[in-house]
Amino acid sequence: MRIVPLHRPSRAASAVACAALLAAGLAACGGSDGGGGSGSDKDPVTVEVTFKDGEVTPSGDRVELAVGQELDLEVTADEPGTIHVHSDPEQELEYPQGTKTFTLDFDRPGQIEVESHDLDVVIAQLEVR
Amino acid sequence: MIEAHGIGGQSDLPIPLELAVSGAVAALVLSFTVLVVAWRRPRYAGPDGIAGGRPVPAALSAVVLSPYTRVGLRVLGFVVLLFAVATAVAGVDQLTNPFFGIVYIWLWVGVAFASLLLGPVWKAISPVRTITDLLHRATGGDPEHGVRDWPTWLGVWPGALGLYAFVWLELVYDGRDTLADVRLWFAVYVAVMLVGGAVFGSRFHQHADPFEVYSTMVSRLSPWAVVDGRVVVRSPLANLATTPPSPGLAAVVGVLFGSTAFDSFSGSTFWLKAVYDAPVHATVMYNLGLLVFCLVAGLLFAVGSSLTPVGKDLQRSRLPRLLAHSMVPIIAAYIVAHYLTFLVDYGWQTLARASDPFGKGWDILGTAGLTPGYWFSYHPTLLATIKVLAVVTGHVTAAVAAHDRAIRLLPARHQITGQLPLLFTMVGFTAGGLYLLFSA
Repeated sequence: MRIVPLHRPSRAASAVACAALLAAGLAACGGSDGGGGSGSDKDPVTVEVTFKDGEVTPSGDRVELAVGQELDLEVTADEPGTIHVHSDPEQELEYPQGTKTFTLDFDRPGQIEVESHDLDVVIAQLEVR
Repeated sequence: MIEAHGIGGQSDLPIPLELAVSGAVAALVLSFTVLVVAWRRPRYAGPDGIAGGRPVPAALSAVVLSPYTRVGLRVLGFVVLLFAVATAVAGVDQLTNPFFGIVYIWLWVGVAFASLLLGPVWKAISPVRTITDLLHRATGGDPEHGVRDWPTWLGVWPGALGLYAFVWLELVYDGRDTLADVRLWFAVYVAVMLVGGAVFGSRFHQHADPFEVYSTMVSRLSPWAVVDGRVVVRSPLANLATTPPSPGLAAVVGVLFGSTAFDSFSGSTFWLKAVYDAPVHATVMYNLGLLVFCLVAGLLFAVGSSLTPVGKDLQRSRLPRLLAHSMVPIIAAYIVAHYLTFLVDYGWQTLARASDPFGKGWDILGTAGLTPGYWFSYHPTLLATIKVLAVVTGHVTAAVAAHDRAIRLLPARHQITGQLPLLFTMVGFTAGGLYLLFSA
């Protein structure tokens, strides 16, 4: 897995993720400027997730995050599917074929698994401190 | 498939490395301190002795032992059983169904914690025991011994097997969060318990009910005992020493420690990558992983305890079961460390879900609005410290228990050196447990 600082957050993706989070009852969403405003002034962390030919990278990597720090999951896939984020409450991220970025943040410290249930694989474990 | 415990989402952060190392070093140093400074004459009873204790106030003792309390607890257990059956049969097939929380948290984790504090809780509330009891009373039989004697050689082996079946359901089986599958597991459990209870009476539950074997085993770390019809309070070590050395006790130890360790290990990056890269299906890997962890834990203990030198009058093969009780504090401490937040947060959440048993938006208990506070999540350093303290305390208790039994069993010339193999095994278990709390 490559973790790179993100320069320009995708506004549309943030909005979608926010809507998903709000729907799930989680109120900790980033501000309308797509960054900051959510309790952490650290740069967002980007994780590139690639689904190709029934395989996924990364598989099982640890990602360290601060509480409130944004995580941008940049999903590139050769067919649509769902990513499961085992936070409380759980979140389902539906990604299309192509590339889509999901912006998440977490307001409670702990370890959170990001899984593909289709492939039975833990993509990453988030260590939120 | 890989969802932890089949329930709940977010889990604890790993404990910091410094704490894990300090804990392991403390365990090592304290072990040898125990060996050197502890008493040289056995202080606690052998497995068949009933050492005394300080009686609690007579009124309290009378209340605890009164038939009303006994029947009340049985009714409580039965009501929860009926409730669980209703949710299992008429509830929705989602994790919001309280059935999952009732079996995976209240029964599996809650009963163990309660037994640690209060004594043999499952024996007191077990609905399958209640049915066996009523059946034999109704037919004029003997509720304790049934129609056949429980074979002594079998000991608690069936209990160990039942525990393995449960941890397999919890940690390995794909359908652990599918209502029909968990319901089937428990239907088989109840059926086996009822048939066994009809034949062997409550002796069967004592040896073959996985939850009772587990609950009664850890209950010996509680400070309570009943001596001469009176509730007494005494050292948990005195209680622990009365553990019957049944055949299969070492296997119970292996399954409980091995499975909890595997539950931690299966969250490690190493394991996740190994499963991903393996040429076989993940299910095969999980099956192998659980089996290997339980076998290794059981065999390590068996070997470590068998290396203890003995006099001519004691068979070496009896050593594991004569010393197995000393592993209970290590297991209990590790289970506390592993499950504490899980029990507090999701036990609470289950109470909320139980208020709406069929997913119809009801609030029959008035608890539907409860939400877990996740207090420990926000105090990760405190939580990690509690875990390490629990593990070190458990380790020291175990070392003392093993020491007391060793000086009872060992010939005088081996009393100190003879303890070393088991002591090293225990340090290994404790350090291994701490490593898993750090890495997973």
